[in-house]
Amino acid sequence: MTARADQAMIDAMPILHGAWLPSTYPPSLGGAFAVWSEVAPGPPAKKRGGRPPKVSPHPFAGDVDALEQVLRGVAGKAAPLLVDLPSRSGRPLASPMLLAEEADDGEISLATWQVSACLLAPEDALRWLASLPERDRLSPQIVLGDDIRFWQHAACWQLSLLARQRFVPTLLPSDAPGAPQTTWRAAWQPSLDDPADRARLEQLAAAMPPVCRALRLPDDASKPHGPARLLTSFLHTVTDACVRGWAAPSLAMIARAPVRPELRWRRALLRADPAVPGSANDLALLAGQVNEWLAQLRSDGDAAFRLCFRLEPPEEPAVDRDERAWQLRYLLQAADDLSLLVPAELVWRARGQKLRYLDRRFDQPQERMLAGLGKASRLFAPIEESLHAARPEAAVLTTDEAYTFLRETALLLEESGFGVLAPQWWGRRGASNRLGARLTLQATQQKPPSGGVGGMSFARIVSVDWSLALGDETLTLKELERLARLKQPLVRIRGRWAVLDPEQVESAIKFWETRQATAGELSLQEALRMLLGAQEQLAGLDVVGVSADGWLARLVDELQTAGGQMAVLPQPAAFSGQLRPYQQRGFSWLAFLRRWGLGACLADDMGLGKTAETIAYLLEARSPGASAGARPNPALVICPTSVVGNWQREIQRFAPSLRVMVHHGGDRRRGEEFAEAARGHDVVISTYALARRDADMMLTIDWGDVILDEAQNIKNPGAKQTQTIRKLPAEYRIALTGTPVENRLNELWSIMHFLNPGYLGSQRDFQRQFARPIEKAGDEDAARRLRSLTQPFILRRLKTDPTIIQDLPDKLEMTTYCTLTAEQATLYQAVVKDSLQQVEVSEGIGRRGLVLATLLKLKQVCNHPAQFLADGSPALLAGPDGPEHRSGKLARLNEMLEEALAEGDRALIFTQFAEMGGLLKGQLQEAFGQEVLFLHGGTPLARRDEMVARFQSGRGPALFILSLKAGGTGLNLTAANHVFHFDRWWNPAVENQATDRAFRIGQARNVHVHKLVCAGTLEETIDDLIERKKALADAVVGAGEGWLTELSTDDLRQLLTLRQDAAG
Amino acid sequence: MPRRHDYDDWYPRPSKPRAADGIKARSKRGKIGESWWADKWIAALEPLLDSGRLSRGRSYARKGLVLDLDIGPGVVMSRVQGSRARPYKVKIAVKTLTAAEWSKVIDALAGEAIFAARLLAGEMPPDVETAFWAAHVSLFPTRSDDLHTDCSCPDYANPCKHVAAVYYLLGERFDQDPFLIFHLRGKDKDQLLAELRQRRAAEDLALAEDSPAYEVAAAPESSAESFEPLEAVLHRFWDLGDGLDAFSAPVVRPAVEAGLLKRLGKPHFERKPGEITDPLAAAYRAVSDAALRLALGEDDTQVT
Repeated sequence: MTARADQAMIDAMPILHGAWLPSTYPPSLGGAFAVWSEVAPGPPAKKRGGRPPKVSPHPFAGDVDALEQVLRGVAGKAAPLLVDLPSRSGRPLASPMLLAEEADDGEISLATWQVSACLLAPEDALRWLASLPERDRLSPQIVLGDDIRFWQHAACWQLSLLARQRFVPTLLPSDAPGAPQTTWRAAWQPSLDDPADRARLEQLAAAMPPVCRALRLPDDASKPHGPARLLTSFLHTVTDACVRGWAAPSLAMIARAPVRPELRWRRALLRADPAVPGSANDLALLAGQVNEWLAQLRSDGDAAFRLCFRLEPPEEPAVDRDERAWQLRYLLQAADDLSLLVPAELVWRARGQKLRYLDRRFDQPQERMLAGLGKASRLFAPIEESLHAARPEAAVLTTDEAYTFLRETALLLEESGFGVLAPQWWGRRGASNRLGARLTLQATQQKPPSGGVGGMSFARIVSVDWSLALGDETLTLKELERLARLKQPLVRIRGRWAVLDPEQVESAIKFWETRQATAGELSLQEALRMLLGAQEQLAGLDVVGVSADGWLARLVDELQTAGGQMAVLPQPAAFSGQLRPYQQRGFSWLAFLRRWGLGACLADDMGLGKTAETIAYLLEARSPGASAGARPNPALVICPTSVVGNWQREIQRFAPSLRVMVHHGGDRRRGEEFAEAARGHDVVISTYALARRDADMMLTIDWGDVILDEAQNIKNPGAKQTQTIRKLPAEYRIALTGTPVENRLNELWSIMHFLNPGYLGSQRDFQRQFARPIEKAGDEDAARRLRSLTQPFILRRLKTDPTIIQDLPDKLEMTTYCTLTAEQATLYQAVVKDSLQQVEVSEGIGRRGLVLATLLKLKQVCNHPAQFLADGSPALLAGPDGPEHRSGKLARLNEMLEEALAEGDRALIFTQFAEMGGLLKGQLQEAFGQEVLFLHGGTPLARRDEMVARFQSGRGPALFILSLKAGGTGLNLTAANHVFHFDRWWNPAVENQATDRAFRIGQARNVHVHKLVCAGTLEETIDDLIERKKALADAVVGAGEGWLTELSTDDLRQLLTLRQDAAG
Repeated sequence: MPRRHDYDDWYPRPSKPRAADGIKARSKRGKIGESWWADKWIAALEPLLDSGRLSRGRSYARKGLVLDLDIGPGVVMSRVQGSRARPYKVKIAVKTLTAAEWSKVIDALAGEAIFAARLLAGEMPPDVETAFWAAHVSLFPTRSDDLHTDCSCPDYANPCKHVAAVYYLLGERFDQDPFLIFHLRGKDKDQLLAELRQRRAAEDLALAEDSPAYEVAAAPESSAESFEPLEAVLHRFWDLGDGLDAFSAPVVRPAVEAGLLKRLGKPHFERKPGEITDPLAAAYRAVSDAALRLALGEDDTQVT
């Protein structure tokens, strides 16, 4: 790679950094979030004469103008900041994200640099951080540093604290230095008394990148903050700013400063200016009172026992609303044995300072109980009431009070450190016995439907019936009305307690009245949505249960155990080769969903053989038994250009009986000719680009199946390509992907929308119902519902699954066929034509040299046009839809690495050519936004060791490029579980040696070896020779390329000429 | 009644007493004592002094001129640094209740658990005086029957400003520990609690054991954070630490709206019910709404 290309790449990729900047003075400012950036490190500046300035500007920090773009409308204030950075030889080291080559010499030490930063006010900082994507990039060009990622987590927590209302009002002295007397300010502070929040503080403080602590204002001489202190400073300032800003609209009423100090404090809590005016002494006094008030939140901590409340329902329900039929019993509970409970009655009878009970000693039991009751009485009036007795054992409650206790008081008491025992029917997450609607679904047809996607989505074949239920009990309208007349929130129905929220009763009665309108017929798809648990509410009423019977029930059962209990089909007779057991299950699963007309997403890990499973499926669907007589419509496989050849070859290999047509390349069939040809084949292979370009032709055909390989290509629902593909008429749809689709919600929606249109609702609905709550708010309930809805349609097996591992060899070798791009094909043909002309007229050593040079050139063309042309041209070219690959092989490598990295895997990439290694490093770094190691002949020994250590450490870079010669022997790189051979070597022994870098002692996982071969080219010929004549390999090709030079020109032509199917 | 004249200035004073290292009042200006029961205690003194002596008494209390404070049954002994080198001795005697009176009081206190419950929660029960009325006595002393003060200073007026200083500081002590008033009246906390306990215990179920003194677990000291200096972490200067993969903080509404506020209850300084807590509760709700809107994307007005 040339320096120019390097420069261009890095220029386009600023790295954003940021940190909280606590400000000790003036306190009203509180602090700010500073954003700064690194850009390309240029060559070291020449040392100029004279004395250098005290603090030099950072040589490759970005300027403020560049920052303003990324702030996306949030106003920042430009400010110069100082930052302490690891530096060497008078230059700061670049952050690892910047991917800069570093000089090797010199000690690393901390030095101070000046950078231009944008300061964000606290609330703006939260908004900005919360708006950043959950990826390591803001846009393809802008990379988010680990430090920004850290503050994203902190901001998420901050939002969580605010939403959960974990903050308290305080009154604090604002000691501005030099002020004649203490002034006071009102401040909202986060309350971290929840153990989960304390754990979050520890977790975050431990993970804070040190660079977050390296930033300061130029005139700030205060001591540096530790991680926890920096984090709490952030929380304090942002909490205060946000509460003030967000609470204000509700309190526009307080215009003038009131007289009383406590009212001044209240006012100052709710407006922008936190200062509390007034006499310092009055305020000091008030501050003491406020602190005393807040001190109540402190729990007694590590007492050996505590006060516990047990709510006991009456035997018979209360007759009227005022009857105090419920008992709230007081007990002492041992902290280390929650089932050890001492009733209050026994406690009061103890005369001494100690009580023995079941061999346990309780110190000061009465006082503990009394102190606890004194505290709890502030939370719940009935407790206070009970304390007018001399020896209170319980509070008596009306039904309404009991309901309030269960819904609210119990939670507050628990938070305050008391024990609470609620009746079992209440349950942990609120009432299980509550009022709701129950659905009964019944298939209107005896037999399950057939007929593909359309049948599933539209045919109304399921009838729905609704009933009202209170817990498990079905209610009649009469019963409901009787219960409603009681006007009690807790009722007894058929001997069991249940919750009857008055608001819900109203909805329920309304619901009953309009019930006729909601009953009706559903499509299978709608029915499945309900059965798989998507429906939570219906006309304001909770859905408490859905049931089905007959084949519908069986279908849901099988779907939910995806593949678990399903019958495994025998491998199709026409399949040549042997499916592994898990592949057989996968193919059976595809066939199972096909029978129901349901779209399936096969998302197995790369290398597990999705292609083979799909081919088996195609054979099964086209077997004589599957289709009653009529020949099924052709299947359309849409894949990235780079794998067209691979599909073709895999089908030829596994299913030679299937007639395959490739629709690709400049000389592809058009119009009616295409339609006719397509109908005459079993499988048509084409590409995403052509699915759009030739949409008119493809839309005219009734496809049996439409299969998307690398289905993440339709992840953008709005893209023309996605929309066209969705329109392709198909009976059955399959998506193949190796990326963890379930974690990328937009991609998931888009793929599911292709597979089973409408199943996940419109994109808007999906955003509102699932994507935003899950991604932005951490809504686990929504995540659970989405999982339940989609799981039946996604089969994802990992190569680490124990059941898969046992089916796999330790070393799994695969040849991946890549397709040349048009540019590569043209170059290839030109080289062959040119060279053969010259070879024909030369002889002897000159001829041999010419042949060898030709082989070299062709291999270069297969690798990448830029390697062949050696003109420093970029790896990718701008196309109408964004950057386009110039090399099919590189494109394929990118796709495969994306899947591997998404799995957290590590990979070695071997190439024979150092210049290709450089090109790969540049392109892969840019594509994945992470450092890629490259070890070649010129790498100094110390550097090699360092690279190997970093790769092996488990935390360093995940991709390691090695030149075959320099890295093929000696090194131990068992952290990798993928090995890619980017180009082929004549001698398999050399390749195997390289492969063994990863596959050697210490390797605990299976190793996947991928050999990339350009279909139809010299590479495939070499591959064939190696594979077919393994026994002879050493004898024939062991010596390298020499034997080729002895071939006749005709033989050479045959060997070298690009075959028809190579490219377009 | 002494004459409401301040003759203090008649005496030549070598120097004004300066602040000393004695007990300093927490209140820096205005009234001393926060709780209603401290107010009640101080109210007994205020009619006995002119405003000049009272204000100097407060000032003495704030400057730390009261050197010590020894509270025993029926008597408070104290030394106050005046204008002379030797501190003055101040004695405040309060009549203790007789055993018979105490017995009646404790009967009344044991009759309702709320008295002990509130006391143990650090608060004087609001209607504690009703328990004393049962024995025809009063918890808070008044001059007429049961408060005697004495000071070794030359001021002929009694009470003098030194007595006032001690008196104010006692008020602040009572703020912190309402049991002290009972102590002054003849029963300390342990005695009081033990007798209350005995009244409650109908029969002797458990063995009384000797107990160690009532221990209060000390709050853990918040220690200064220890962390690695930047120089020590150059090798991982830019790296995010482990363990954040599992980090999650759900942005959801609380199970109970304004739960912290409800746990705190009505503050003592809130005079009109709800005048402080109601607007704060509204603020809590508004903040949740805004945080959820921000988390879920602002274009979406529908917040669930």
